[in-house]
Amino acid sequence: MNASANVLSGDQTDALQEIANIGMGQAGDSIARIWQQFVELSVPRIAIVEADRIPALIHHFVGDGLVSAVRQAFHGGFRGEVLVVLNTGNRHELGALMGYDGPLEPHEEEEMLLDVANVLAGACIGGIARQLGADMGFSAPSLIGTDLDAHSVVRPDELSVATALCVEVCFNVKIHQLSAHLIALLPREEVAALGELLDRFLCTL
Amino acid sequence: MDETTHLRLLGFIVERLEVGILAVDRQCRIVLWNRFMETHSGRLLDAVQGQNLFDCFPELPASWLKRKIDSVFVLGNYAFTSWEQRPFLFRFKHNRPITGGVDEMRQNCTFLPLRDASGEVKMVVLTLADYTDTALIQRRLQAAILESETERRKQRALLRRLQGAKAQLFQSEKLASIGQLAAGVAHEINNPVGFVTANLGSMERYLGDLTQLIGAYDAAATALPAAQAAAVQQIRQKLDYEFIREDLTALIKESREGLDHIRRIILDLKDFTRVDQDGWQAADLEKSCDSTLNVVWNELKYKAQIVKEYTHPPHPECIPGQINQVLMNLLVNAGHAIGDQGTITLRTGAQAGEPREVWVEVQDSGHGIAAGDLKRIFDPFFTTKAVGQGTGLGLSVSYSIMRRHGGRIEVRSEPGQGACFRLVLPVQRTEISDQSPPDGPDLAGEVSAEELLALEETDGR
Amino acid sequence: MSVSVLVVDDSPIARKMLRKALPADWDITVQEACNGQEAMLAYRAGKVDVMFLDLTMPTMDGFQVLETLQAEDLNCFVIVVSADVQPLARERALGMGAIAFVSKPVNAEGIRTVLREYGVMV
Ligand SMILES: Nc1ncnc2c1ncn2[C@@H]1O[C@H](COP(=O)(O)OP(=O)(O)OP(=O)(O)O)[C@@H](O)[C@H]1O
Ligand SMILES: [Mg+2]
Repeated sequence: MNASANVLSGDQTDALQEIANIGMGQAGDSIARIWQQFVELSVPRIAIVEADRIPALIHHFVGDGLVSAVRQAFHGGFRGEVLVVLNTGNRHELGALMGYDGPLEPHEEEEMLLDVANVLAGACIGGIARQLGADMGFSAPSLIGTDLDAHSVVRPDELSVATALCVEVCFNVKIHQLSAHLIALLPREEVAALGELLDRFLCTL
Repeated sequence: MDETTHLRLLGFIVERLEVGILAVDRQCRIVLWNRFMETHSGRLLDAVQGQNLFDCFPELPASWLKRKIDSVFVLGNYAFTSWEQRPFLFRFKHNRPITGGVDEMRQNCTFLPLRDASGEVKMVVLTLADYTDTALIQRRLQAAILESETERRKQRALLRRLQGAKAQLFQSEKLASIGQLAAGVAHEINNPVGFVTANLGSMERYLGDLTQLIGAYDAAATALPAAQAAAVQQIRQKLDYEFIREDLTALIKESREGLDHIRRIILDLKDFTRVDQDGWQAADLEKSCDSTLNVVWNELKYKAQIVKEYTHPPHPECIPGQINQVLMNLLVNAGHAIGDQGTITLRTGAQAGEPREVWVEVQDSGHGIAAGDLKRIFDPFFTTKAVGQGTGLGLSVSYSIMRRHGGRIEVRSEPGQGACFRLVLPVQRTEISDQSPPDGPDLAGEVSAEELLALEETDGR
Repeated sequence: MSVSVLVVDDSPIARKMLRKALPADWDITVQEACNGQEAMLAYRAGKVDVMFLDLTMPTMDGFQVLETLQAEDLNCFVIVVSADVQPLARERALGMGAIAFVSKPVNAEGIRTVLREYGVMV
């Protein structure tokens, strides 16, 4: 383990940034293929955050307006949770795209949100992990809520970590007015494991 | 452990685990089908192997599930379904043949991509876990939560009503004791006023006598010697006897009027409070209006012109002291609503139909009531007045009084044009139910003993 | 005479990864730029034969570089290197004058194939 065990070095951060970028590109491509729509991608943002700053950070990423949010845990080379904050303008069209017949029932809408989040998280985290040579498993996603204010997606007092590494990417599917912010949060003690994988990756360069 | 044993062990686990496991290839043909699936579907492996999943199970939601499986092939990611959103994928009977409780087995499913050496997804493995028990527990929990939530809401409403009722009670008691005090004072004043009136009568009589006497002396004055006559004349002029004589009469007349006024006020006050005769009785609403008006006259005299449109309706059975209290609240409110100068109109009338009803209206030309406030003015503590000017209890007490009388209080108002409150009373006293009318403010009703008991019980917990 | 190569990417790691994937037996001099603006400066300052160009960058992105090159009718082999590998991004880049599109992460084999295919390297 290196000296600054729970913060990434400059090189590691650069590497993570690029790997996230690539992972996101692959995720975008996969999604574009299954939905047959062009997906706009953002530049990934990486930050170390204190738990009590997370709600403000989420608000900073997604802005005002009501959102739906899903959480999902991943485990493998490193563990963490991903929050997918969705802004779904046209849920019914999206539903048709995902094979639902007719107008969506409330529980179908929830299932669809879970599914969209799962696809994005799987593609993105999976893509990052693959480049790092880590094998990732995922637990079932769960719904945090729909029609939430961005500040209330996460309640700091409910978080069990004090600091987290946050990797944010944003997908936009114009046609379905779907925008999704994917925020991967790693507890500080997992950062070392990620750092080791990044070091191994840097060694190959 | 050697490899064969290991494989046998794995095979056994897949076969016997209490979890449904199946696998399909890119064409959705069934490749793997464990015992759980055999037992619950009633189809043996031999019957389904190599068959298209959707041909075997037409009841599956094909278009949605196909896409889901496809996305696992394309993306190589995990996918899930949860019983909470989708109770089940396969329509299996629940595993509670005896205890029952739900119709179909609740299932959580996981879709796993199975990659070959090159990383391409070759199969999708589907696991299916029985969540029926969890679902049942959750259902019970939810029912319990809902119940306690409803209970809490009821308690909160009850508490609010209790607070409202307490405040009303306090207010009525305050008013009643002020009334008692006023009646007591009136009574005390009554005696001195009585003998002052009597004395004044005597004084008036004595004055007549004295005037008569002095007149006689005047007539006899010519008989006096000139010196004495001049002296008397001098005193007479000095004292301005003519003025004294006229003024005395005027003074006595004014004093009598003043005493009359005091007597009327005392009578009104007694009339208003009715401490001497509280209880149900037929009362003349117009007299009530007049005596109440006199009591609050001080507050109104400089700003309000009073118009009376009386039609002499029948006398309803009521507790007059309480009805006067209501009228006083309305008159004071009307006075407050009028800024500088305005009119207060008092109307009475009878309503045709059964049961026979009579009404009194107090209409003012004040600032009126905002549409949004109309619903709330009868709530305890609702006031738009400055601190110290209003407690917001007047109308809520009035509402309760009218309800206890089996009558009602109605309001209409055009903001800027004034407000008109109408009291409606049945002519014949009616039994009233304890139920709050649906359109009334939920706080104004009294709290029943039952509710109080319930409240105390839950409080004690 | 050696070929002059410009590697344009905002990520230092990405530039490193690309340089490592360039054929060892290719006689080149390599310059780096971390956004479109720097790339255009380098381009105008001297000769650039082959440009490896990332698409998403701050200040001036890859598409803007392609646009400028096309508008000013400048000639240079541009190979777009991008993480966004959706067909639409690829078509757009090729439509704007890039000769090839390589997806990230880059590998030596892929780069060599592209270079051969377009005769940039024999
Ligand atoms: N005649 C009226 N014109 C305009 N507004 C009125 C009139 N009567 C009542 N209101 C409105 O209804 C509110 C409640 O009246 P209510 O008599 O219950 O309480 P209050 O007069 O504010 O205080 P309190 O009577 O306890 O001294 C008043 O604050 C006022 O806003
Ligand atoms: Mg009042």
